[in-house]
Amino acid sequence: MSSPKEDGSDHDYDDIPLQHKRPFGAGLHKKAIAFVPASDTGGQLKSVDSSSVARPLRQDVADLYLSMVMPAEDAEKDKLKPITTPLPLKTRTHSISEEVTPDICPLCNLPLSSEDFVPHEQSFAHQVCLPHSHPPSAIDRNRKGLAYLSAYGWDPDERRGLGAEQQGIQFPVKARVKDDNLGVGMHIPKGLPPPKKKEQLLDAKKVRKMAREEKRRGERLREELFGDGRLGKYLGRGDKGLI
Amino acid sequence: MADSSKGLKRSSAETEGSQDSKRVKTDGGSNGKMGGDKYNPYLAHLDEGAHNGFKSPLDELERHKTTALQAVKAEDSDTNPWTGRPHSQQYFKILKTRRDLPVHKQRQEFLDQYHQNQILVFVGETGSGKTTQIPQYVLYDELPHLTGKLIACTQPRRVAAMSVAQRVANELDVELGEEVGYSIRFENKTSSKTLLKYMTDGQLLREAMHDHDMTRYGCIILDEAHERTLATDILMALLKEISTRRKDLKIIVMSATLDAQKFQSYFFNAPLLAVPGRTHPVEIFYTPEPERDYVEAAVRTVLQIHASEPEGDILLFLTGEEEIEDACRRISLEVDEMIRESDAGPMSVYPLYGTLPPHQQQRIFDKAPEPFRKGGRPGRKCIVATNIAETSLTIDGIVYVVDPGFSKQKIYNPRTRVESLLVSPISKASAQQRAGRAGRTRPGKCFRLYTEKAFKKELIEQTYPEILRSNLSNTILELKKLGVQDLVHFDFMDPPAPETMMRALEELNYLACLDDDGELTRLGDLASQFPLDPALAVMLISSPEFYCSNEILSITSLLSVPQIWVRPNNARKRADEMKQQFAHPDGDHLTLLNAYHAYKGAEQNGEDMKKWCHEHFLSYRHLSSADNVRAQLKRIMETHEIELISTPFQNKEYYTNIRRALLAGFFMQVAMRESSNSKVYKTVKDDQLVMIHPSTVVTSPYDWVVYNEFVLTTKQYVRTVTNIRPEWLLEIAPIYYDLDTFEKGEIKSALTRVTEKVRRRQAMKGGR
Repeated sequence: MSSPKEDGSDHDYDDIPLQHKRPFGAGLHKKAIAFVPASDTGGQLKSVDSSSVARPLRQDVADLYLSMVMPAEDAEKDKLKPITTPLPLKTRTHSISEEVTPDICPLCNLPLSSEDFVPHEQSFAHQVCLPHSHPPSAIDRNRKGLAYLSAYGWDPDERRGLGAEQQGIQFPVKARVKDDNLGVGMHIPKGLPPPKKKEQLLDAKKVRKMAREEKRRGERLREELFGDGRLGKYLGRGDKGLI
Repeated sequence: MADSSKGLKRSSAETEGSQDSKRVKTDGGSNGKMGGDKYNPYLAHLDEGAHNGFKSPLDELERHKTTALQAVKAEDSDTNPWTGRPHSQQYFKILKTRRDLPVHKQRQEFLDQYHQNQILVFVGETGSGKTTQIPQYVLYDELPHLTGKLIACTQPRRVAAMSVAQRVANELDVELGEEVGYSIRFENKTSSKTLLKYMTDGQLLREAMHDHDMTRYGCIILDEAHERTLATDILMALLKEISTRRKDLKIIVMSATLDAQKFQSYFFNAPLLAVPGRTHPVEIFYTPEPERDYVEAAVRTVLQIHASEPEGDILLFLTGEEEIEDACRRISLEVDEMIRESDAGPMSVYPLYGTLPPHQQQRIFDKAPEPFRKGGRPGRKCIVATNIAETSLTIDGIVYVVDPGFSKQKIYNPRTRVESLLVSPISKASAQQRAGRAGRTRPGKCFRLYTEKAFKKELIEQTYPEILRSNLSNTILELKKLGVQDLVHFDFMDPPAPETMMRALEELNYLACLDDDGELTRLGDLASQFPLDPALAVMLISSPEFYCSNEILSITSLLSVPQIWVRPNNARKRADEMKQQFAHPDGDHLTLLNAYHAYKGAEQNGEDMKKWCHEHFLSYRHLSSADNVRAQLKRIMETHEIELISTPFQNKEYYTNIRRALLAGFFMQVAMRESSNSKVYKTVKDDQLVMIHPSTVVTSPYDWVVYNEFVLTTKQYVRTVTNIRPEWLLEIAPIYYDLDTFEKGEIKSALTRVTEKVRRRQAMKGGR
C-alpha cells in the first residue's frame, strides 16, 4: 500500500527522464492534488473476511450483521473509554449534577438558577418550550387535493406528514439548480464580488454611449462640487487645490 | 426415515391431484391425458408411473422442508429436474462456479430462515450472487410446479431483468421463456410453463392491479430494494398489507447496502440474513481543501493516478453525457501528452451513460491496453460514468475510484409542477457505494474530491427515495386501481409530502380520472390499464373523439421512447438539415409523426432500415422500439374497444384534429408568449418563464403552444412543442380553463378576449 505522498507532485516529476523534462509545466497532471487519507478507520471500507463470516458456529445473524457494519476498533474504543477517563473529573461532574438535579425546569429541561437577571419563566428557552399554537399553513384552503386529504384526516395546520403514523415529510424536497462546477463543500463567501463576467466586446455604438454617460457624470460632479464658481473663489485658489 | 418419506409422497400426491385439473384447463386439454403418446417432460412429475425409469430428483423433496443437501443432490443429478432432459456439459461447468459464490455457503442457513419466517430481509453486496442464486434456492424449496404458484423476482431496471433471466435460464439449463422467463413493460417472455419469473418492479405492480392479492405467486423477491424506486416502494407497502391477509405468501427483500435495519423494522422486525460480497479493503483519500472546479480536479486526479499508481483500472463518476464526453476528450489529450513526454503507459478512455448505444456500452468490458513494449509501464482503462456504474453495473478490474461527489437526480417541485434532473451532491451511502467499486478484484483506493469535513457535514445520510422526488399522479392512479382508499394513512416506508400528493390528486381530477371525492372514474379506470403517464393515457383514450386515434397512438408511442433524433457532434448541421425534411411548421409532435410515417413507408418499400435510419439521422433502435410499443398499446386499445380511426389525409382538418387531440391530455402543459416580440413564454397557471428548446423545428413565433416536457437546466425550456389555438383550450378543458380560477395577469386577459371573440362569433352565426 503506498503512502498518500506518492500521489503528490514530486513523485510525478521523478518519473520523467531528465532529457524529457520541460522547462515549464503545461499538462494538467502537473498541478497535482495532494490527497490526505481518511482520518478514522470508520471511513475506510472494511474488507469482509468471508471465511470468518461464513462460520456455521455463529448462530445470531444480527451479530454477524453488526460485525460487518461496526468496525471492531470502534467497539474496542468504546469499551476503553470509561476506563481511561480520569477519575477526579468524573467525580466532579457527578457532584455538580447532584447539586443541580432538584432544580431542573420540567418544561424546558434547563437548570434553574437564581443568579439570572430575568426570572427563568421569562427566558427565551423556556418560552419556546411552552405550548403554543403555530400560524396556520399557507396552503390554499380551496384546493381539491386538500379537501381529499382532510377527508381522510390530514390537517394542514397540524404540522404533520402522511403515512401510517403521519410520520412523513411535511414539505417537498427542495430543488436547487447548480450551474457552476464548484466542488462539494466549496462555498463562495457572500461578501466577495461575484466572479468576473465574460469580457464584453464593445462596438462603436456602445463606446459612444459609454463616453456620453461618462461625460454626463463628470459634468454632474463638477456642478455639485464647484457650483457656479463663486465657491471656488470663496475658497481661495483655483479648482486644483481643492482636494 | 422411511415413514417420513412415505408421508412426503402422500402430501405431494394430494397437491398433484388439485394441480392436475388446473393444468388441464390451462393447457387446453391437450395434455389432459396422462401417459399419452407424446412425452412431456414438464408433466413428468404428474405421472411417474407412466414413464418407467424416469424418476425426478425432486421427488424426495418436500415443500418448505427441504435442506440444502437435498437441493444440491437434485442439482447434481444427471437429469434436469425441471425439464426431464439430461443436463448439458455446460450446466455442470456453471454449477461449479455457482458453488463458489459467497451465498452458497449460507444456503442451509437461508433455507432455515426461509422456512421459519414469512418475510425475510437479505443483505448481500454486489457480487455475492444473490440476484441469481436466491431465486433458485427458493425454486428448489417452493417447488412451484406442485402448487402452480410462481416465484417472482423484481428488478428496478428492464435490462437487468432480461439479462439476469437469461443467466438463470442458462444456470438451470432451461430455455429462456419456458421455466424461467421475464416480463418487462411492453415485453413478456413467459409461458404457461414458467416457474420463476424475473420482472421489473413496475410490471409486478401492474399485475397487482388485476390481482390484488397476488394470488399467482407463492414467493415474491424484491431485489435491489435499496434503490428505493417508486415502484419498489409501492410494492413494499402493498406486500406489507397483503402479507397479513395471505399468510402463505413468502416475501424476501434483498438489498445491497447495509441499511437493512430500516427494512427490518418496516416489515414487522423481519429477521435479517447477511452474506458478504467478495470485497477487498478500499483506502479512502480526501482533498485537504474544497475544489473550485470538480471536473478539472477529476481529470487531474485521473492523470495523477495514471502517472503514479501501480496497475489497475480507473472509474470516474461524473454527472451527465456532456460532462462525461468532455472529460473523456480532455483525459485522452492529456494522456497523449504524458505518453509523449514522460513515457507513461497507454490508457483507453470509455464513456458510460444511459443513452449510450449498447454496443458502445459494451466497450467498457474490453481489456485494458497492453503496455507499449514488454516490461513497459502498464496500460489501463479509465471509465467515465454516471451513477449507473454505482450499483447496477459491475465492472471487474477497477482499482481506483474518483468520486467528485455529484450526480444528477430527479427532483419534482409540486408548486411549479416541474420535474427536473439536477446536479446535486450525493449521499454518504452513495459515496460508500462508489468507494466499494474499487475493491472488487483487489485492494483499491478511492479518491474523493472533497474534504473529510464536507463528507461528514454536507452530504446527507441516504439518497432521498424516488417517491419523495417524483410526480405522483401515475402512482396515485395505480394505488386507486389497487383499491387503496385512504391515501393519507397508506403505509409507505417514506410517505411523500402532502403537497405533492395534493397536486397529483388535483391533476388526476382535472384529467377526469378521479371524481371530486377522489374515487376512480371510468376514464381513470381505463387510463390505469395503459402503462403510460395519465396525461398520455387520457390523450390516447379520448383521441377517437377527434378522429385521429391512429395518429395519436403513433405520437404516444414516439413520446414513450427516448428521442428518435440522432445528432452526432461531427455532423450536427447535416442532422439538422435531415430533420428539416420531416419538419411540420406547426410543431414537433407532428414532425415526430412525419418521421414515423416516413420510417414506415421506407419499411414497406423494403429498404434496409438500419441504413435508412442512419442516412436520415434517426435512431433505428428507438424507432423500432416505438413500433413495438405501438403494437402493444394497440392491443390494449382493441381489448378495451377504443376505436382506431383516422381523418383522411386529404382533409384539411387532418393536422388540426391531431393538434386538438393533443390538448385532451396535455391541456395542463400550455404556455403563452409573453409579448409579441419576445421569445419568452409563460406557462399557464404555474407562471413559469420558459423558452422553447433549441431542438424544436418551430420557427414562427406562435402565441400559444402545448409542450410535452419541461426541461430545467441552466435555463428553463419546454421541449417538443406544437402550436395550438386558445379557443380550443376553453372548448376542450373548460374546467381547467375556468377563468374565475385564474389569477389576474396577461394570460387571464388574453383568455378573456378569446372568450369574448368566440361569443361574438357565435352570436353573429345565430343572428344570421
